[in-house]
Amino acid sequence: MIKNFLVSVGRYFLFMKMVFRKPEKWKIFWRQFVMEADKLILSSIILVGVISVFIGGVLVIQTASNLENPLIDKMYIGYMVRESLILEFCSTMIALILAGKMGSNISSEIGSMRITEQIDAMDMMGVNSAGFLVLPKVIATTLLSPLLMLLSLALGLVGGYIVVEATQIIPTASYITGIKAFYNGFYIFYSCFKMSLFCFMISSIAAFNGYYAKGGSLGVGRSSTRAIVTTSILILMADLMVTQLMLY
Amino acid sequence: MIKVENLNKSFDGVPVLKDINVTYEPGRCNMIIGASGSGKTVLLKNLIGLMEPDSGEICYGDRKLSEMTDKEKILLRQNIGILFQGSALFDFATVIENVMFPMEFFTDWSESERRERAQYYLEKVNVTGADDKYPNELSGGMQKRVGIARAIALNPKFLFCDEPNSGLDPYTSILIDRLISDLTKEFGMTTVVNTHDMNSILEIGDKIGFIHQGSMLWQGDRHTIFDTDCQELRDFVCANTLARNIIEGKA
Repeated sequence: MIKNFLVSVGRYFLFMKMVFRKPEKWKIFWRQFVMEADKLILSSIILVGVISVFIGGVLVIQTASNLENPLIDKMYIGYMVRESLILEFCSTMIALILAGKMGSNISSEIGSMRITEQIDAMDMMGVNSAGFLVLPKVIATTLLSPLLMLLSLALGLVGGYIVVEATQIIPTASYITGIKAFYNGFYIFYSCFKMSLFCFMISSIAAFNGYYAKGGSLGVGRSSTRAIVTTSILILMADLMVTQLMLY
Repeated sequence: MIKVENLNKSFDGVPVLKDINVTYEPGRCNMIIGASGSGKTVLLKNLIGLMEPDSGEICYGDRKLSEMTDKEKILLRQNIGILFQGSALFDFATVIENVMFPMEFFTDWSESERRERAQYYLEKVNVTGADDKYPNELSGGMQKRVGIARAIALNPKFLFCDEPNSGLDPYTSILIDRLISDLTKEFGMTTVVNTHDMNSILEIGDKIGFIHQGSMLWQGDRHTIFDTDCQELRDFVCANTLARNIIEGKA
């Protein structure tokens, strides 16, 4: 088992070496980059938006129900919702959701190309298939995912606002004051960095699993599942390490 | 010309190819024939560099494949066209984009030049009016034709076809065979076809190598295949009742 793990790690790094070779033509790379940005990032906006609005609302209710002490200012509810969204939800939780959506998309797409010999066809033409298929995905997700994090934060706060307005669980003015209080710009950078790192892991690990898929359509399904499980565990481990390194 | 000398390949100690010696000449349809599991696909994969032989040499012209650098191999691959068993057309691209794909990477032609050239090759393989269709909208025969057009899009010196007729009806199979044969002669390519289809063998087999249990037992052409003394080849050829009747009639 340890041997298999080490072999897989070694293969992953060799695979990444192939992926990060200079593209044959930059024009083709940028075209693919735009396509992948559309397919992986823009198409995730609705999912991220819907989840963020609801979670923002839920966080307001949960935080308010836990802070009933009359001595604590209600604006702290808005403040805590904002910090929860920035520090954990908008990066880690969204990344775990994207691991399912983007991970299965990437892994099954590349896996089906592998089992139908499309990747062999590219290699035999002299095209670096790993570079052509994977590099634009990895770069697009790594560079653009912080935008999803920022969108998630904005919509999470909007979700909280809608709940506050609709239920008057706390005064709206307190919520607004809370979400503006004790602002720390480093937390935004920390969350954007985490999101980029997690999305790099999602795209590269899913692509790796798809690229070496074997065993027909069942094999593609297995590689997809393996990609999602592996990425989810690694995201949580990386979250712990990055948090320790950057916040303490 | 492709020359194979003393090629051996085994998997987990089980020999799959044993001391293969054969020469494939330009302008001819060279065929690798044999029953399923005889080792012909392994030979083809060794020829195109998807597998490495345990021993022996494969020479493209006067250059040994084993001595080529990675860069030389990439250049060689640009001179190789391959028709895969399942066509291997790219799902993300239309018919014309599939044919233009290698041109986009390895030429400096403009978009209109590439399109014009792709259309020329699509006409050559009798695929017209399907430029903007995706591979899943085409029949098996059409997919093979587009696969051939893509394989020859950069005027390769070598064309490899892995079971080009699998899954096709006899009429379409013959059309594909004739197309491969005509293009081979027209462009002077060294074509190697891997097949077990007797119709193909008799239709276009300019040079035939019969593999049985990893050994090349017989070499000849379609005119001499029925005159062979090789019992294994006779058994392979006579698996078909029509062929058996022909041989018995001849005898």
